[in-house]
Amino acid sequence: MRIPIEWLNEYVKIPKNISVLTDGLTMAGHMLDKIDNTKYGTVIDLELRGNRADCYSILGIAREVSAIFKTPLTHPKTDTLHKTIKKISGLFLKADSNYVKRVMMVKINNVKITKSPDWLKNRLSAYGIEPLNNIVDLTNYVMLETGEPMHAFDADRIGGDVFIRIAKKGEKIITFQNKTIVLTDDDLVWSNNKNILSVAGAIGSKEFSITDNTQNIILEAASYEQANIRRTIYRHNLLTDAGIRHEKKLDPTLVEEGIRRYLYLIKNEGWGEMGGELFDFYPSPITSKRITLYYDYINRLSGFEIDKKISVDVLRRLNMKIVGNTKDSIQVIPPSYRTDIESKEDLVEEILRIVGYDKIPNNVLSLEIPPDKMPEYIEQERSVKNILISLGFEEVISIPFTAPKYQPLNSSLSQRTNPVIVANRPSPEIEEMRMNMLPSLVEPMQKTINEHGEISKLFEVGKIYSQKSEKYTEYRAAGILYWEKDGMSYRKFKGKLEAFFTILNIADVKYEESECQILTESFKILLENNIVGIGGNYKGAYFAEIYLDNLLGKSRITKVNLWPKHPPQIEDMTIKIPRGVMAGEVMQKIKSSSTLVSEVELKDTYNISYTFRISYQHPEKTLTNKEVEKARNSISIKLKNDLNLTLDA
Amino acid sequence: MKEELNNLKNNALAQIIEAGGINTLEELRISYLGRNGSVNKFFKELGKLDSDDRKDFGILLNETKKTIEEAIGDKEQKLTQTLSKGDKYFDPSIPGEKYKIGHLHPTTIVINEMFDIFKHLGFSNIEGPEIESDKFNFEILNLPKDHPARSLQDALFIQEPEVVLRTHTSSVESRALTEYKPPFRFVVAGKCYRYENVNASNNAMFYQFQGFALQEGLSMADLKGTLIYFVKKFFGEDREIRARCKYYPEVEPGMGVDIDCRFCKKKGCSVCKGRGWIEMLGSGMIHPNILKNLGYKTEEMSGFAFGMGLDRIVMDRFGIPDIRSLYNGDIKY
Repeated sequence: MRIPIEWLNEYVKIPKNISVLTDGLTMAGHMLDKIDNTKYGTVIDLELRGNRADCYSILGIAREVSAIFKTPLTHPKTDTLHKTIKKISGLFLKADSNYVKRVMMVKINNVKITKSPDWLKNRLSAYGIEPLNNIVDLTNYVMLETGEPMHAFDADRIGGDVFIRIAKKGEKIITFQNKTIVLTDDDLVWSNNKNILSVAGAIGSKEFSITDNTQNIILEAASYEQANIRRTIYRHNLLTDAGIRHEKKLDPTLVEEGIRRYLYLIKNEGWGEMGGELFDFYPSPITSKRITLYYDYINRLSGFEIDKKISVDVLRRLNMKIVGNTKDSIQVIPPSYRTDIESKEDLVEEILRIVGYDKIPNNVLSLEIPPDKMPEYIEQERSVKNILISLGFEEVISIPFTAPKYQPLNSSLSQRTNPVIVANRPSPEIEEMRMNMLPSLVEPMQKTINEHGEISKLFEVGKIYSQKSEKYTEYRAAGILYWEKDGMSYRKFKGKLEAFFTILNIADVKYEESECQILTESFKILLENNIVGIGGNYKGAYFAEIYLDNLLGKSRITKVNLWPKHPPQIEDMTIKIPRGVMAGEVMQKIKSSSTLVSEVELKDTYNISYTFRISYQHPEKTLTNKEVEKARNSISIKLKNDLNLTLDA
Repeated sequence: MKEELNNLKNNALAQIIEAGGINTLEELRISYLGRNGSVNKFFKELGKLDSDDRKDFGILLNETKKTIEEAIGDKEQKLTQTLSKGDKYFDPSIPGEKYKIGHLHPTTIVINEMFDIFKHLGFSNIEGPEIESDKFNFEILNLPKDHPARSLQDALFIQEPEVVLRTHTSSVESRALTEYKPPFRFVVAGKCYRYENVNASNNAMFYQFQGFALQEGLSMADLKGTLIYFVKKFFGEDREIRARCKYYPEVEPGMGVDIDCRFCKKKGCSVCKGRGWIEMLGSGMIHPNILKNLGYKTEEMSGFAFGMGLDRIVMDRFGIPDIRSLYNGDIKY
């Protein structure tokens, strides 16, 4: 809120140096947004928090300044002559909703409509409200001063009966800014027998507003159920000065203070004659809260010792009444305008913010360290990222939605079929959540290709989302995408995947062909018969998605191999493998044919000729040629018997 | 004769040292050690001596021959070494063959660093779902329906009004508060979502970092000490921190923590909007309503919580000017 310094100074003495003032306010909870030097003087703009309805006024800030800097407060003068009554002659009000907490109304006759005098115009302008005429300007002035919004109607236009009620769906109002609002049955309105006079707490109708010809006015100030006002002002975008105050928890007591201040000023200026009757509808007046506060609790929650006298002094400076006082505790009654204070913790905050948060010591956590409860998969997910980095992949983080052009990829590549959809999408890009990682990686890869790059290696570790009959599931996945301009092959990509699993200490991963509409060379990755991933060729780039939930969580022990004491005998073996026989199977057969075969590696392929490098090894001795020959024969027999393959001579 | 031999040796050694090239050295070898060389001439003389002298002189002659041979050998080695340097051109500035290395995303780097700092303070790292119920995202956190703070957190709804994409990582706090028994200290980092159109200053998704602890005896001083320890470790020991009162519905008392603006050294500039300080995180003691609703007595149990947006911190640390670049694949390593 914008606070003209000159205005603030009317109620409280302020420090000479503006930055001392704004620092004090900032530390106590009202952060300085900016200082504005206007032709009406310095204006400080404070970023107020929504719980302090009382601070949306010059007086509210003056009270804070008074408490922070220990300077006295001067209250503005108000009308004290008029008694409140329950009925007002010639005017009937029916408040037909629980949303109305208090209403005060008064008729002011023979008003003189003029341009406002300079003091009034300048203060409104410094705040940022355009001056209109004296009667309307004064309602705004009193609102800014006290925090209580008020509204003036042209009394001769509205007639004798006034209702505060819930609008009928579809009812319309044209505001004084010429905007038509179509109301809902959750909007509170003022109306007469025929028309809507105003949207309660937010904005008045053009038809009943004050004009140059207005002779008599009805002035009203009210207090409503804040939640209802909030729904209305956000629904219709009515974030007016009145609206933003009414949507907070305003003190109903303020209604009377505001009205009486207005009456005092209008009489003082000679702008109208008070009818003499001050109507007050206040079905259930608020009662004051009483909070017991133990000194010991102040110290425990703060973490340091605060002198009892200081606590009491601070609370008094904040206009709190101390009604009971024992050795250990006090009973505190906060002023009615402090609608935010409800508990002893609130009072501790009050004490701390005036004493100063800078006085709180910096304890390094001295309590016992609680047991570690981190789930295993978190550390493993971190190592998954590090492994992919070590294999030369770049990490991508994306907003996990699928843009419309990639939505076919989203549905046809996933094991699940129903995407999670945002009901209130801000744009088509933020609507369908991803069910797989490919859409998130294709876009950044395309950037590399467009810029004539030679290679793109990307990964993302994150979540994929799906739903089934309103049950929503999130899965952890690692998406991997590999593209090279030249020499890209399935084998090259698979080498990376194998390395990935090897570093994770996961052995016995199987790759099987699978059906896919989007990917060629499509495969699934199996571990102990569970699918732990899928992959394939997408337009020349190789993609794989690893389902981390199926992989992580179990701890796997790293095995360390030492150099053998006895060297292996190594030989290359070329075998013609016709289509239909899997190379993986051939290698498996070779390996299982003799215990002496310690390693089988594919060295080369030419058409259907596959050259394998085979290592024969015994842990305790160096093998003789005879022993190797025997093992070779076993391989030969096994391949012949099981797969009908012959070794090339 | 002995003297003659000595002179010969001295001359030979001097000439070998002087020799500037491999050819000169070869000439020297021929002239001294060759078949008709100077040394061999002495061997021919050897027979003319009587037996006693012959033995003495023989030894001397052999030693001389060996000395000259060694000197030539050493020199030869030196000369060939120099030669190889001169012949093969070596350019250490030539670039290496390209090796493709991977990089972690800047946000991951920052999160890892923060987790490591908090690990020292006994915090465990946990996670929670992004698709969240109204209960965990709002209700438990002292944010009932119609709470004013809700209008500031326009949610992306999956199913209005009960299923949302979490608007903050505090949802993980509410889950942990319901699931775990104190004492505990947790930190969480993750994606959060708000109803935003993507523009230069906002994404519909952003990262938050959250921490909270529940343990008998925790106080504002513990909270402040924890945060200052973190800020100094993360941003640097020389940075200044300001703790001030700030309202958040999930905590009471509430505390805002600012860090000195490093661009203007607290003098005020456009980065800090003239304030000299940059808002860094929000925090406070877990609200008594939250604790009471979960069955704790506020006299016995207390806790604190803090949270911060990560994206600005990441942008600042890595000099990324546009928030959109963070999560649209724009980062080029």
